[in-house]
Amino acid sequence: MSEELSSTVAQNGLIAAALAAEICPELALAPLAPAEIYRYLGYLLKGSPAPPMAERIAQVVAEAQLCLRPRGAYAVYPVSRRTAHSLKLGDTTISGNIGEYLKDADRVAVFAVTAGEEISLLSESAAKNGDAFSALVMDAVGSWAAEAAADALMLSVRRHLRDEEELTLRYSPGYCGMEISQQRKLFPLMQAEAVGVRLIPSMLMHPLKSISGLVGLAPKEAVSSYHSPCDLCPRTGCSMRR
Amino acid sequence: MEKPIQDLSALRHAVIEGDVPASVTAARTALEEGVQPIDVISQGISPAMAEVGKLFEEGEYFVPELLMAARATKEIFVILRPLLAQAGSKPMAHVVLGTVQGDLHDIGKNLVAAMLEGGGFEVTDLGVDVPPETFIAAVKKRPVQIVGLSALLTTTMPAMKTTIEAFRAAGIREQIKIMVGGAPVTSKYAETIGADGYSETAAASVDLARRLVAAC
Ligand code: B12
Repeated sequence: MSEELSSTVAQNGLIAAALAAEICPELALAPLAPAEIYRYLGYLLKGSPAPPMAERIAQVVAEAQLCLRPRGAYAVYPVSRRTAHSLKLGDTTISGNIGEYLKDADRVAVFAVTAGEEISLLSESAAKNGDAFSALVMDAVGSWAAEAAADALMLSVRRHLRDEEELTLRYSPGYCGMEISQQRKLFPLMQAEAVGVRLIPSMLMHPLKSISGLVGLAPKEAVSSYHSPCDLCPRTGCSMRR
Repeated sequence: MEKPIQDLSALRHAVIEGDVPASVTAARTALEEGVQPIDVISQGISPAMAEVGKLFEEGEYFVPELLMAARATKEIFVILRPLLAQAGSKPMAHVVLGTVQGDLHDIGKNLVAAMLEGGGFEVTDLGVDVPPETFIAAVKKRPVQIVGLSALLTTTMPAMKTTIEAFRAAGIREQIKIMVGGAPVTSKYAETIGADGYSETAAASVDLARRLVAAC
């Protein structure tokens, strides 16, 4: 792991421009509430399944939780330049509406987290055995865990906040008018490989249950006025809408 | 000795409840009592799945309930398939499914596979990150009526187009119907790349596949 880490640093001078960087090999996730999983399973109108189904789901969730390996990495950069459609960190210019959304942040953390590969392998093997139900529930646990890992990593990023500052919402390539192609610019800015997250040519991350993104460190007053990122998304029927 | 229709109510109930063992037992009992395999489908499975579909549309059932019901019917089809073949009925349509090259995402395709199997289709799942050659080899190996392609991101969607073009280059595009799906895919995109059909959900993919087979 340390080898991988030093090669990332050596290959890329940019990380030297970082104010701080951290690798978190073991993130502690918040407890999993059944309602979270119900949301991923699509119980959006009804809220929760009937008791026998809830019981079936709970059994699979318990098994799946043993396969989570949440970890992540981040690096904090000063914003060197910005326009409404771009944001410059070190020498890297990230394009997209991100410039507008993070306009109040003078520092930005770049991050990647993962729930690990194990949960996807578990789901895959259930599917191969013809058990699409368990595969679905395991997949939902993985999706939840990736989000929970991002939340957990934010607790570490928070330590870099100054007085009267707050974290903005998180923004990910592929969302909110920032193209997934921006992944290519994001990855050299952090040591994602050190926690096993790698970018493949199609811009997808391996493991599947991974999230990358940016989060701003901004004055409290500016942050409290932010809306949900879902306000910017056209998928109004999405079960994940907040 | 023909069994009256209402005797399949236990089977219908078990399927609707997603009770796999009870469904299999009910099907075995019905067959032992002389119900024709074709009637197990038309009077048992079909009305039960129609009811499940209705409950889904009404917001009473969700994907997990659909999957349990589909699993129950899949297991019944395992019993019925050899009997139907013996009776000389036409084999069920064969669907080849896979997530396109460069994409690792599994679950959407798995749901489609499960629902199609529950709908009586025979499904070959080629897995994820499937190159065009593998799809082509699968179609050349055994008769295939439908090929289903899945993708998760806009960056992996173009591989659907590449795959369809490869079928064309191999001269076998006209032998099959191609359906596509996945979070970023739209019916417009499906049309643009020359696919034969798109469905937004796994539940709707069964009807789509039936329509495509009818047009074969
Ligand atoms: C849950 C989720 C996640 C989870 C899990 C990801 C996963 N799939 O395992 C997490 C949080 C990890 C995640 C991460 C990311 N995500 Co995400 N995610 C979603 C979300 C909310 C649901 C996806 C899902 O699993 N749905 C459940 C499954 C069952 O649905 P499905 O795969 O679409 O399949 C259904 C249908 O499409 C259809 N279907 C599928 N295949 C086929 C095939 C055929 C033949 C047919 C007929 C039908 C069919 O039937 C299925 C069942 O009904 C979608 C938005 C949405 N509402 O769809 C975004 C979404 C897919 N994610 C998106 C993005 C951008 C990302 C990230 C790149 C963000 C980032 N920078 O970190 C990463 C990428 C992860 C990676 N490894 O590279 C974007 C993609 C947009 C784009 N431009 O391509 C989406 C569309 C959100 C958006 N912006 O609108 N994500």
